[in-house]
Amino acid sequence: MSVAELKEKHKAATETLNSLRERLRDRRSQLLDTDVASYAKAQGKTPVAFGPTDLVCCRILQGHTGKVYSLDWTPEKNRIVSASQDGRLIVWNALTSQKTHAIKLPCAWVMTCAFSPTGQSVACGGLDSVCSIFDLNAALDKDGNLPVSRMLTGHKGYVSCCQYVADDDTRLITGSGDQTCVLWDITTGLRTSVFGGEYQSGHTADVSSVSINGSNSRIFVSGSCDATARLWDTRVASRAVRTFYGHEGDVNPVKFFPDGNRFGTGSDDGTCRLFDIRTGHQLQVYTPHQQQQKGDSITSIPSVTSIAFSISGRLLFTSYSNGDVFVWDTLLAEVVLNLGTLQNSHEARVSCLGLSADGSALCTGSWDTSLKIWAFGGHRTVI
Amino acid sequence: MDSNTDLPYSFAVEYSGPPISHRSLPRALPIDISKIPVAAVVPVSRNSSKLLSSMPVVQPIVVSKLLGCNDTIVSPNSVISFNADKNCIGNGTGNGTGAETETTVSPGFEEQSSGEFSDMVNNRDGVGLGGRGESSGTLGFSDSFDKSREFSGNSLAFRACKESLDLNQQDWVSNGSGLSLSFEYPSSRVSSLKTGDCKDEPSFDRKNRLIGFGDIESETESFVDDIDIDVNINININININQGQPEAARVKKEPGVKTKKGVCYRCNKGNRFTEKEVCIVCNAKYCVNCVLRAMGSMPEGRKCVACIGYSIDESKRGNLGKCSRMLKRLLNNLEVRQVMKAEKLCAVNQLPPEYVCVNRKPLCHDELAILQSCPNPPKKLKPGNYWYDKVSGLWGKEGEKPSKIISPHLNVGAPIMPNASNGNTGVFINGREITKVELRMLQLSGVQCAGNPHFWVNDDGSYQEEGQKNTRGYIWGKAGTKLVCAVLSLPVPSKQVYPTGEQFSNTLGQSVPDYFDQIAPRKLLLVGCSGSGTSTIYKQAKILYKEIPFTDEERESIKFIIQSNFYSYLGILLEGCERFEDEALNNTGNQVSENDETVYSIPPRLKTFSDWLLKTMVAGNLEDIFTAATREYAPVVEELWNHPAMQATYKRRNELETLPSVSSYFLEQAAKILSTDYTPSDVDILYAEHVTSSNGLSTVDFSFPLSLDENNDKSEQHNSPRFQLIRVQARGFGENCKWLDMFEDVRVVIFCISLSDFDQYAVDANGNLVNKMLLNKKFFTSIVTHPTYEQMEFLLILNKFDVFEDQLERVPLTCCDWFSDFRPVVSRNSQNKNISSNNINHSPSMGQMASHYVAVKFKKLYASLTDRKLYVSVVKGLDPNSVDQTLKYAKEILEWDEEKPNFNFNEYTIYSSDSGSDS
Repeated sequence: MSVAELKEKHKAATETLNSLRERLRDRRSQLLDTDVASYAKAQGKTPVAFGPTDLVCCRILQGHTGKVYSLDWTPEKNRIVSASQDGRLIVWNALTSQKTHAIKLPCAWVMTCAFSPTGQSVACGGLDSVCSIFDLNAALDKDGNLPVSRMLTGHKGYVSCCQYVADDDTRLITGSGDQTCVLWDITTGLRTSVFGGEYQSGHTADVSSVSINGSNSRIFVSGSCDATARLWDTRVASRAVRTFYGHEGDVNPVKFFPDGNRFGTGSDDGTCRLFDIRTGHQLQVYTPHQQQQKGDSITSIPSVTSIAFSISGRLLFTSYSNGDVFVWDTLLAEVVLNLGTLQNSHEARVSCLGLSADGSALCTGSWDTSLKIWAFGGHRTVI
Repeated sequence: MDSNTDLPYSFAVEYSGPPISHRSLPRALPIDISKIPVAAVVPVSRNSSKLLSSMPVVQPIVVSKLLGCNDTIVSPNSVISFNADKNCIGNGTGNGTGAETETTVSPGFEEQSSGEFSDMVNNRDGVGLGGRGESSGTLGFSDSFDKSREFSGNSLAFRACKESLDLNQQDWVSNGSGLSLSFEYPSSRVSSLKTGDCKDEPSFDRKNRLIGFGDIESETESFVDDIDIDVNINININININQGQPEAARVKKEPGVKTKKGVCYRCNKGNRFTEKEVCIVCNAKYCVNCVLRAMGSMPEGRKCVACIGYSIDESKRGNLGKCSRMLKRLLNNLEVRQVMKAEKLCAVNQLPPEYVCVNRKPLCHDELAILQSCPNPPKKLKPGNYWYDKVSGLWGKEGEKPSKIISPHLNVGAPIMPNASNGNTGVFINGREITKVELRMLQLSGVQCAGNPHFWVNDDGSYQEEGQKNTRGYIWGKAGTKLVCAVLSLPVPSKQVYPTGEQFSNTLGQSVPDYFDQIAPRKLLLVGCSGSGTSTIYKQAKILYKEIPFTDEERESIKFIIQSNFYSYLGILLEGCERFEDEALNNTGNQVSENDETVYSIPPRLKTFSDWLLKTMVAGNLEDIFTAATREYAPVVEELWNHPAMQATYKRRNELETLPSVSSYFLEQAAKILSTDYTPSDVDILYAEHVTSSNGLSTVDFSFPLSLDENNDKSEQHNSPRFQLIRVQARGFGENCKWLDMFEDVRVVIFCISLSDFDQYAVDANGNLVNKMLLNKKFFTSIVTHPTYEQMEFLLILNKFDVFEDQLERVPLTCCDWFSDFRPVVSRNSQNKNISSNNINHSPSMGQMASHYVAVKFKKLYASLTDRKLYVSVVKGLDPNSVDQTLKYAKEILEWDEEKPNFNFNEYTIYSSDSGSDS
């Protein structure tokens, strides 16, 4: 068989694949007779109402001199780690807004950071294609810097995100610009398994985020610049369990819904979507109002930079590249609050947000170099 | 840190009680500082004490008395209870009876009171009551209440009361829950004092108040404490005023909690001998245990958390950046340095320019910056009124003799007043009547001062009489003058640091203090598609400017990479060889079926090896081979390479798309590379692929070595500027470059394009085969139009000129669609020589013309996108000189960029000094 013939065949197969995919999508849209919002409305649900002080900015964490790119909360204590383009990781006490650690990074172009489940170490990754682990209890070196306790090398592209496997300080999943996700064993510093890549059915563009299922840590989902999200089982690295189509732009954040059966995505196309991992269906699209009105003027659509669900899942917090932070009612797909219009809102793109483990506070990080903590602002009393 | 967990804080209090509906939950509105009627209250104290007596605030207790509910002293414990009280009040009013109500106001009076009220407002010079209608309602209400105790009348006015009561309620709500609790105590106390009945109440209230603050204090761990503290401050101001202690005109921030002298403001412990840190805004003092909690992370230096953002107490300016021992003990060295730096440099802590008046005119921000950054600035500038003689540079406090001679010709403040230093001598210097001391000095230094002359003194001390041209002499010229000045404590000019004229031309750019270290390297971003040769240029820079470009370890790993590359080249060749063999066999058909030997056939012995090699390659574990097998297989590989079949394949290498052009360099020295003691030379490294991390980021810091003539030129320039070359490889052809916005502090973007791409094709994101040059163009466009790079200079490198020249002999440039209108002038007639040639001896080569054409194409594209100029450089990546020149070109671009604003400014200085001498 000659090369030309093979090419011909490949082309034909690609076409078949595309047409099948098209048919699948049509079929899906046929089967989807409703979405969450219209069903909830039919059930007579009303949107969550927010009082003016139900969510106010209570803390401003200042200290970074560069754009904040990422943040993460500890699972049990109220501490935050944030990564910024000034080449530092800062560990904050969210209550006192004190810095407990300022870690100078070997490579300033950091994109992601994560707190380990025990809160003993932090991980970060960036354009150096390395995921670095810092032990917060380690002794400082002679320059007063915290030494890197482990370098996870092996990615061929930038490390775009990292997340620890729940209750396991030694395992970590990273997503990378080399189109793969990797499960690492931190104690040995080696790759346990690689998801995607050249010979496997993985993402066809840079992986931008991963999220591990809260109830079953073997399952995780990854979002990618190929506009899809993929569901993976850590035991089966060879192929994705499921691929979720729907977005029209790069998928930036993915986040599991608290119950573990759904996950949310945010995209450069300005929408957020909710997918069900059991059926593979798209449950809901969250399109901001102004975008609906503007229609198809693509240039001005702010992209979704980060999302988070409240503990109950009723609220979805989404941040946009224009500095807005919307609070959505997940059920009714309505924006119930925009933190971008409140007092003390950020002045630049909000790049990351995260909910504390107990769900009582939201932290946002922005390119205006500050982090802000939002929580219930009223006077709290026990009745 | 762990002690935090013991304290009750409202971060997450689990609610365990009866289910509550959403509506019964207490709501509070966000606090808008401007809406709290504080600002209004302060000016009142300035006015008259008569108004003070009628200065009401808000009177929940009054309300209760109004309705006769004397027992409703609101408990400070919760909003809820307070709300409940309010509700009951509301109900009372709603019923309209108010059984024990004894107070009603006549309608006539109501008008009167409102008239009074408006008077009051007028008295306040429109300072306003926080700019809010509701608060005026508050005032109106209390006013009417005062009178209402005197009058008794019909129920009409009562409705008015009710109205204002409603307004009151609104006010409460808007002030926020934390506020409403603590806010009421002082005001209620005042009003009860004022009304004079229930003598026992004030003390009760006072007690309550303390409890109230205690409550709030204990909550400082919650996220709302900032607000609480703010509120407390407001209250204190209120108290001061109501107690008849007028404050200074400027609102001074007071500490949130008033305590006994000497104790810590937070924990109320300690005495005046315990070491304490003082907030530089509100003077609150905190002990060792509390300082970090109260001051947090100190983003603006030693300020309470609530004071962040407020300007500092001017009396503390001298201590800015001077660290106390306590802080050193609490924080590590690095943190202390950072905090002190922040304290000194952060914008809020700077001297507010409007506090400094020069010649009766408050300065603006820029003027203050000019004043402070001039070569000879006034020392320890404090707020106050100064006079400044622009011509001579004399500087002094208003109404006093000169205290210093600062840099002249600074464009700050208004023209000098004749009576600036309150002189009475009748002698004028530059339009200022001088003081007696100065006159004495002038006389002693031999200046003729008879007849009250008007002098014109320049900054160098030369003086002339007004209206005359000739210089009469130099005031400071005599040695004795300085002695006289010292005796009379008059200033003498300090040594001139700069010659006049260009004094502050280079300081304008830094009107804001420089937060960043001066020595930060200038960043050059080197970016390009894969295969554009960015890594070659990066390696060249390393070899050119680094003393040790590669360490031994690096060389060892590079050797490993080169050898592995070699096998992959070989593999590609073998694949190609098989392909060509197949094709050759197909072409010849079955005619020579017995003898199916073509020129591409490999003898069986080598065949087994090559098959094995191909197999391992496909399996993806090529790395396993050469560690063990390098020495073993070296002869076989060499033989294979030298075999005519391979050579024939090699000749057709441009048909093998996957074979990189540099492969020949390595293939031709197979034996050397495959030996175990091979150490890659710099050139080898330069040629080698995948040496710099292929898809990631690599940086090299360097500075250009000064050549000899440059050394002579810039002898004063001790350290040459440092540069950082950041090389980022776009994956594929630069789709989805998420990292582009990370490089906002880059000075020049060096965009690298391989000229040889014009006849090459690659698969783009959609799976289509696209000309590589067009992909380059697309990527270039996307970067140029990226918002992060809007204002950056671009240097386009057209790389691989050598390959390009060779290629043009085989393929015309027009095979790329974008270059279809390339009409090279074929140099047959000699006329063309003059047109575009830079070497006179022969006409420009095809390559030069073509590269020039490509450059123009890109320049036009760039101009259409940004309407700025694109810098282009044609480079042979493998030629060190060519890369060196290009990087120096980048440096030139940077320097030109830096000089541009100075040019503009020079004109400005000339102008300003002219205007200075005119005045």
